[in-house]
Amino acid sequence: MNFYLVGLSHKTAPIEVREQLAFPEGRLADALQQVAALPGVRETLIISTCNRVEILARAESSPTDPSVGLAQFLADFHQLPSQRIEPYLYRHHQREAIRHIFRVASSLDSMIIGETQILGQVKEAYALARSAGTLRGPLDEALTRAFFVAKRIRSETGIASSAVSVSYAAVELARKIFGSLEGKRILLVGAGKMSELAARHLLSHGGSHIFVTNRTPQRAEEMAASLQGRAVPFEQLFEYAAQCDIVVTSTAAQQFLIRKADVQRLLSERKNRPMFLIDIAVPRNIDPEVNKLDNVFLYDVDDLQQVVNANLQERQREALRGEQIAEQEVEKFLRWLKTLDVVPTIIDLQSQLEQIRQQELARVESQLGELTPQQREAVDALTKGLVHKVLHSPITELKTLAQQPDGLRLVETVRRIFNLKQ
Amino acid sequence: MGHFWLRIALVLYSLGLLHAILTVVGRRQKIFRVALGAIALGAIFHLVALVEDGLAMNHFPATNLSEAASLLAFLLAAAFLLVHWRYRFQSLAVLLFPLIFVLTLPAALDRSADTWDLPILRTAWLYLHVSFIVLGYTAFFLTFAAGVLYLIQERELKSKRPRAFYYRLPPLESIDDLAYKSLSIGFPFITLGIVSGALWASSVWGPSWPTDPKIAWSFATWVIYLLLLCARWVGGWRGRKAAYFAILGFVAILATWGTNSGMHSFVLR
Repeated sequence: MNFYLVGLSHKTAPIEVREQLAFPEGRLADALQQVAALPGVRETLIISTCNRVEILARAESSPTDPSVGLAQFLADFHQLPSQRIEPYLYRHHQREAIRHIFRVASSLDSMIIGETQILGQVKEAYALARSAGTLRGPLDEALTRAFFVAKRIRSETGIASSAVSVSYAAVELARKIFGSLEGKRILLVGAGKMSELAARHLLSHGGSHIFVTNRTPQRAEEMAASLQGRAVPFEQLFEYAAQCDIVVTSTAAQQFLIRKADVQRLLSERKNRPMFLIDIAVPRNIDPEVNKLDNVFLYDVDDLQQVVNANLQERQREALRGEQIAEQEVEKFLRWLKTLDVVPTIIDLQSQLEQIRQQELARVESQLGELTPQQREAVDALTKGLVHKVLHSPITELKTLAQQPDGLRLVETVRRIFNLKQ
Repeated sequence: MGHFWLRIALVLYSLGLLHAILTVVGRRQKIFRVALGAIALGAIFHLVALVEDGLAMNHFPATNLSEAASLLAFLLAAAFLLVHWRYRFQSLAVLLFPLIFVLTLPAALDRSADTWDLPILRTAWLYLHVSFIVLGYTAFFLTFAAGVLYLIQERELKSKRPRAFYYRLPPLESIDDLAYKSLSIGFPFITLGIVSGALWASSVWGPSWPTDPKIAWSFATWVIYLLLLCARWVGGWRGRKAAYFAILGFVAILATWGTNSGMHSFVLR
């Protein structure tokens, strides 16, 4: 039983190549059928997203390497010469192929490690291959396990736990400062797109009252309406700032709007309750000196980006633990595969019955009394013949059926009804 | 029998110690649930041991240093469970679990070594005095631990370059909240402990007791915490300054605890 994987991804191929080799959704079922019809191929699955195109197949080993056929198919299907796509392809066989599909499903191979989209895409590819009838044996099991591995890695490591976008990083920081955002008040100074996005994130995580202020009051009114907040006059900026826990600034002012002395005043009015200031304006609206004050946390765009970068590194560290889990699961899968092999099953079957025969002979030994060598031989031959006859049909069926798609289910059934160790 | 239960508690607490070591060395989070269960179960056995000891010896088991330490360990375990239930602070475990283990150790290993077997100490005053002080110390240890966590997390947030701590420590406000609550709970206990001690000492040893160094230290400690509490109430102190002060207060507690290793100097005069 052999698994082959041929594909390309953002790691090996530029977008120009990936878009040429992607499978249009409408033609995927057709493509699956064509791969399944290649010599030796028993099962197949095609994953085609904007970041990767992969063909995974289970094939019987034949004189020609099945992965050559898969690569050729990939070129032919898109009407490209195969030597043109060759430099971008990677090929994996057996253990490597299984590990690869586990890593892909778990988002360890993604451009942004831990992103959740890829799992959904692999699940779609799986559903499609199932309905096209090209998935019905060990490869099916491999995919089912890939989904399990993805779930396990997500819950046991932190690959998906920290923010990787600037606006979400702001929410994460707010939660690191305040704990819960429940009941926190937010002031938007300036009505830009970025601050609106940040505000929406903050609101969806529990932030309550939102105030919007802007030099042109009309724009403030509009944004306040869309965020279900309140527009307040620009002159009263500091009055409202004192009531707010989170202040987001994004005006086009050329000088600092908020200085250290202003914030000091705000703090004493607030009895030092902490403030989180997010300055997404360039040039900056808040004097960076403000960050030196106790209980004030000021982040500008670069700071947020720095947090995002640190989060990405953290994800990478967590991914190392994910790799270990994937490796364990590959090991488990291969062990399961071994039990499905026909030859060991036949041997197990024979030795199991032989053991029973020996036990039964030993048990009746005393009742038989003294036997002549001929008699002993006859008893031996009789029992051996019995075992042989009983096993004849199961063994021949196993040998022939194992070649067919449902053979593995049969092997499993045989192992179970004869109580062979797993 | 009490001894036996205490040893079981100690074995369970050692799982907590293991968790703390593994977290520091290899930041493995999975064992936390096991450790948490072990600490909870250990605390139950510990309580059984305390009650049995109390019944067997006909007095509250807080009459010598190792007993007081073991009582403190039990209270810390209980306090941790409470805090975890309320705030989900896993990171506190790294500080607390080893301490719980170490404090239980002397009582579990040897027992009758140094009982304060002076008849003069066998009064209800002793139990009151020691219990209040130990309860106060438990709360102040939490204030101290919260202070340390606060300073680390605040640095992470101010530096804007989050490292491993940033991801594993709780939010600043929750830490500060814990610091404030534990301070407000600890202060009345320490005050009662000192007052009961003073009343008792003046009734037995007369007016010479305030010259004892341990008493000087404990007054200093009390004043530090009083200032901190007032500053928080009136001056709106919180966060970093409060955290530094809480750490200072705890250093004073250690000095108090360390002076004369548990007993006041005038007792033996």
